Amino acid sequence: MQFFSVDKYGEPTAVQKKVLIVDDSPAEVKLILGLLEKEGYWPVGLNDPRRVEEVITNERPNVILLDVVMPDRNGFQVCRDLKGNAEFNTIPVILVTSKDTASDKYWGQQQGADGYVTKPFTREELLRAVRRFA
Amino acid sequence: MRHANVVILTDESEFARLLTACWQAERQAPGIAVLNSDLWREHDAPPADLIVVGPVREGKLTSVLQSVDPGTAVILCAPADSREFGQLRAKYPRLVHIPLREDWAQTLLLVAGESLRRTEALRIARQAERNAAKNENYATLGRYMLDMKHSLNNALTSTLGNAELLLFEPGQLTSQSLAQIKTIHSMALRINEIMQRFSSLASEMTEAENASQAETEEMPTPTSPRR
Repeated sequence: MQFFSVDKYGEPTAVQKKVLIVDDSPAEVKLILGLLEKEGYWPVGLNDPRRVEEVITNERPNVILLDVVMPDRNGFQVCRDLKGNAEFNTIPVILVTSKDTASDKYWGQQQGADGYVTKPFTREELLRAVRRFA
Repeated sequence: MRHANVVILTDESEFARLLTACWQAERQAPGIAVLNSDLWREHDAPPADLIVVGPVREGKLTSVLQSVDPGTAVILCAPADSREFGQLRAKYPRLVHIPLREDWAQTLLLVAGESLRRTEALRIARQAERNAAKNENYATLGRYMLDMKHSLNNALTSTLGNAELLLFEPGQLTSQSLAQIKTIHSMALRINEIMQRFSSLASEMTEAENASQAETEEMPTPTSPRR
């Protein structure tokens, strides 16, 4: 979902794109929220991966940043479920994870992920990945 | 196949000469050492995968067999009617006996070939067991390192990210605070580099494990008689 403002000619201008951050660590969510907010994004944080679909339905994000190692439902499962759901499968999913082996990345691709950022990331690495989609 | 070593233990030089000649005509002849029963001392004997005991002086056979390491394969080549052999057979039921008939040399070579192949297979199996135990240790270490790496990377993400956030908008930070945050940031990057080296180490360990597995899967080459 994009949020609009009206420019001096009365035309609507897209100003903010919404990014959903799914990570079980509140500190990580807070960090990414801070980084994205400074870049003009509208980040929304979520610590419980079981509620992803519910939050997407309410928030309609432009892109999802998804951690992989999470309790109850890991990021690979979430990604697979989203990409298998006709309602959500067009939303780009970027896996943001400390799992950095080639097989992890390959497995992420197999689940339908659109991007992959390994932790620890620099601000620029994260923003580069987000800018590809929003 | 590793080069096998055979000891021919006999008091009849003709027996040793004939057997050595037959063996050397084979495609893959083992290393051969010939000893007589007087020279035989188990602790002085050359390392052997197989001991062929030929005709020895009366009364020597028992002492020779008693002194042989139970793990070493032994083929006894003696006249079937030997009284001493009759007694030994009851005592050593697994002793391989080849009667001294006219075709004894060819029979002995066939049996010895099988025996050496079995010895080699056992050696490879033991090596595989040792490698498996070693790999198990590596795997445990690897799992532990992966867990630690994951936790460290998460902690590092926060350290690095928050330092970057502060540096991005220093606001009212004093120059001293700014310098300290820059130090935290550069140290976090250095830890990140170290973690990358851990990843390389994990890859190297995987490669070493695969190489070890390939080595243990190596099959012994049969020593077939020349035809």
